[in-house]
Amino acid sequence: MSKAQIHVTVNGTVYEAAVEPRLTLADFLRGDLNLTGTHVGCEHGVCGACTVLVDGRAVRSCLMLAVQADGREIATVESLAASDGRLHPIQEAFAEEHGLQCGFCTPGFLLAVHELLDHNPDPTEELIRDVLGGQLCRCTGYQSILRAVHLAAAKVRAVRTADAHA
Amino acid sequence: MAIEIPNRLEDLPVEELRWVGRHVRRREDPSLLTGRTEFIDDVVLPGMLHCAILRSPFPHARITGIDATQAEAAPGVTAVVTGADAQLWCNPARTAPEGWGTLCLATDKVRYVGEPVAAVAASSRYLAEDALELIEVDYEPLDPVVDPFAAMDPESPLVIEDKGTNVMLQRVFTWGEVDRALAEAAQVFTESFRWNRLGANPTETFGAVCAWDPLTLDLTVHGSIQSPSSFGLGRAADLGIPSNKVNVKSHPHGGSFGGKGGARGATIACLLSRKADGKPVKWIEDRTEYLTAGGSQAWDRHYEASLAVDEDARVTALAVTLVDDLGATGEGFGAISAAKPLAAFTGPYTIPVARYDLTLVATNKVPASPYRGMGPPPHFFVLEQMMDIAARGLAIDPAEFRRRNFIPPDQFPYTIPSGNEYDSGSYEEVLDSALDLAGYEELRKLQAEARTEGRIVGVGVASAIEPGVFDWNAYAIVGMPQTGVPEGATVSVDITGMITVRVGFALEGQGQYTLVSQLVADYFAVEMDAVRVVQLDTQSAPPSFGPGGSRLGVAISGAVLGACRRLAEKLAAVAAGLLRAEPDEIELRDGRFRVKGRPGSEMGVAQLAGTMLARSDLLPPDIDPRPEATHVWTAPGRTAADEEGRAKSYLTAAQAVHVVMVEIDPDTGFVEIVKYALADDCGTRLNPVVVEGQTEGSVAQGIGAALFEEYVYDDRAQPLTTTFMDYLTPTVNDVPALDKAVVVTPSPFTPLGAKGCGEGAIHTTPAAVMCAVNDALAPLGVMAREVPASPHRVWELLRRSEGPS
Repeated sequence: MSKAQIHVTVNGTVYEAAVEPRLTLADFLRGDLNLTGTHVGCEHGVCGACTVLVDGRAVRSCLMLAVQADGREIATVESLAASDGRLHPIQEAFAEEHGLQCGFCTPGFLLAVHELLDHNPDPTEELIRDVLGGQLCRCTGYQSILRAVHLAAAKVRAVRTADAHA
Repeated sequence: MAIEIPNRLEDLPVEELRWVGRHVRRREDPSLLTGRTEFIDDVVLPGMLHCAILRSPFPHARITGIDATQAEAAPGVTAVVTGADAQLWCNPARTAPEGWGTLCLATDKVRYVGEPVAAVAASSRYLAEDALELIEVDYEPLDPVVDPFAAMDPESPLVIEDKGTNVMLQRVFTWGEVDRALAEAAQVFTESFRWNRLGANPTETFGAVCAWDPLTLDLTVHGSIQSPSSFGLGRAADLGIPSNKVNVKSHPHGGSFGGKGGARGATIACLLSRKADGKPVKWIEDRTEYLTAGGSQAWDRHYEASLAVDEDARVTALAVTLVDDLGATGEGFGAISAAKPLAAFTGPYTIPVARYDLTLVATNKVPASPYRGMGPPPHFFVLEQMMDIAARGLAIDPAEFRRRNFIPPDQFPYTIPSGNEYDSGSYEEVLDSALDLAGYEELRKLQAEARTEGRIVGVGVASAIEPGVFDWNAYAIVGMPQTGVPEGATVSVDITGMITVRVGFALEGQGQYTLVSQLVADYFAVEMDAVRVVQLDTQSAPPSFGPGGSRLGVAISGAVLGACRRLAEKLAAVAAGLLRAEPDEIELRDGRFRVKGRPGSEMGVAQLAGTMLARSDLLPPDIDPRPEATHVWTAPGRTAADEEGRAKSYLTAAQAVHVVMVEIDPDTGFVEIVKYALADDCGTRLNPVVVEGQTEGSVAQGIGAALFEEYVYDDRAQPLTTTFMDYLTPTVNDVPALDKAVVVTPSPFTPLGAKGCGEGAIHTTPAAVMCAVNDALAPLGVMAREVPASPHRVWELLRRSEGPS
């Protein structure tokens, strides 16, 4: 099968790659770039485990082709923690509130919450439920995830306040 | 040799516990949160090929021809296997009941939609799937066997012709004088119920990478495997090789809930590897494969039950008839789920006699598998509906009716009619905690007000037992006669005093590596960070079964505490030699080995281990110089099953009471949960936050079970739920906030008094939700007898309640 040349930025690194047009973005990230933190749970766009950010918007990478990512900026779960290993406030909040058990769906949740808090660091419970409604978790029963998102929002607000005062 | 394992928290050798029993953050989380944890689909081995499986589109058809020559020549393809290869290199799958297995690839005919027919190994999954399209299979469709009652008709087509019947097992188990109790009862209530197929659906499906050397026949399997040692034995049996040729390395997996299955796919990957000269072959089941034909589908049940009560509203007998549709073969071990109710047949009640009329039937559906709870959840759904039907018939409040029939605290250990022994419990206290938390009387007032407004509101109160720490003997009636399930751990100290614990199971979500670290850190009074937990493959690990049957928290505690005890004895012997004392004069306290009554004469763990490793010449004679010890724990006092299936099987019996209020939308039949409160008692909570997480997750699965999860087949056995758009697992918007209360009655028989709690609330939730639904419907004169009570079913009941229009 003929290949198409793409130019993408993933977690701040620029990649030039030749890919089959049918290659999904999820398989490109996992297989070609070895960014295996993005997980594939259903491959039909329901479970949300494969959620990544494309130009800041949460996207199901199983439903997007790698060629559609040409020229775009992608962020995966690998981009969240600082290079010294410090967890992102959203990750910290999930750890503190036991917002994960097996952890397979977690990268998708983290990125969906990331998009939410980027746009609204003080979301209502209703808005949080609306956003998380597109992410399936089979372990936690969601209660601890809801607690984690509220805590994450508080942490993000605190960071922003600190930054504003700096 | 048996050694003493501490039964109480205060028996641990420290003044103050710093970790065990406290809310401890999980050590596994940073790796999971950053995407570093290596799940099976992240594994890449040199030369690895990718497998795709061609599956039957028919539920029942004869295979009249198969041609794979084009696929073999397709780009990137290294190997293709069909039923002919399976005949050459494979045995029929082991099953329960015995003798209901087929080969991993269909040969003469297919028996369910999605049954594997051929498979390809290629350089990528994309190319492997391309090649599948080039395989020609000729089918001659046969009449499918769909309904289990029709399947029992001697004229029915047969799923496995050689068996001469579709009935896999038919037996009546009678425990006590049931007929007499029914005849002498003040009242007998009888009703029938239907529990439809549902299943685990972990967010990660099954996957494996298999390498089977055609010369040595050595087999290595990496996989998302819940029970690596059992999985290894299964592959050895399937492939006809000695068990010591198989090495299984389980990877952290994305949930399991008993429904990881995957045995067939792994065996197929093994065949492909052999044909590809031993190259590793990766098989990752996709979600559609999982939903169509994976190791998920459980509990396809038709029930009839009778409950006898005397003049004092005490239940005097329970009789249950179950016809369980196990699908095409016994390879998924779904039959175990029909046996496990024996471990808690009469629930939390003092019902003195019981009968179980059990029929297991083969049909052209996917072979049934385990699912969280392994069978009692539907049984308790039935029992608890019967309790409510009786309470309604006797005009007694359902909570009070249960209270009157609870096993009282002074009767433990308590042996139930089906033979198992419950270790301990405080059932009334749990009931009162749940009723208080829910504000039960207030809920009843709200309900009465709502009814005057014409709203359809109900309150359910249900109680169930969670059997904990499984033993094979619980499943003797379906052909699993063994007793004893080992779990081992090795604890070693290095020259700097750092501690490593080696175990045989992979991370799955329940925080067991954190628990292991908590136990060791408190035993030797070190920081959690001083303890590392390492998982070994089956050829190196101490004997291990892994998670399952609500066992691992208790079992690994026994293994770790036993290994710590053995290590402490060794270190004490070394300390005695170095401090010129007798070994029995040495005591371990707060991480120091001290000579009793000789203040200041003491040594620490690191110092002792360092001496052992560096100066074995200084050690007393007969001391093994490795600062390391292994303990293999099995549940004490288990007994082989008798003729009627009675055994001391599950070691612990946790108990819960759930109180649920629902409101039903009269226009849509949609059931909304407006209040959910629960109290539960699973003994000592070793890491309360993890226990709570298990409860919350299990309630969600129970709500899915009660209200919408269902594998639907049409009347020709075609599956209709093959995507997550059709098979509905709960989202955040389907699960209400939970109020939770805790009662702690430590088990007298287990490490630190903990009881099995991993399966948890799913034992009680479906029963409680359905009690609430039926409480809501009762004034309308209709009853929801079928689970899930999905909107269309409830809507139809509402229409029926209005009478003929």
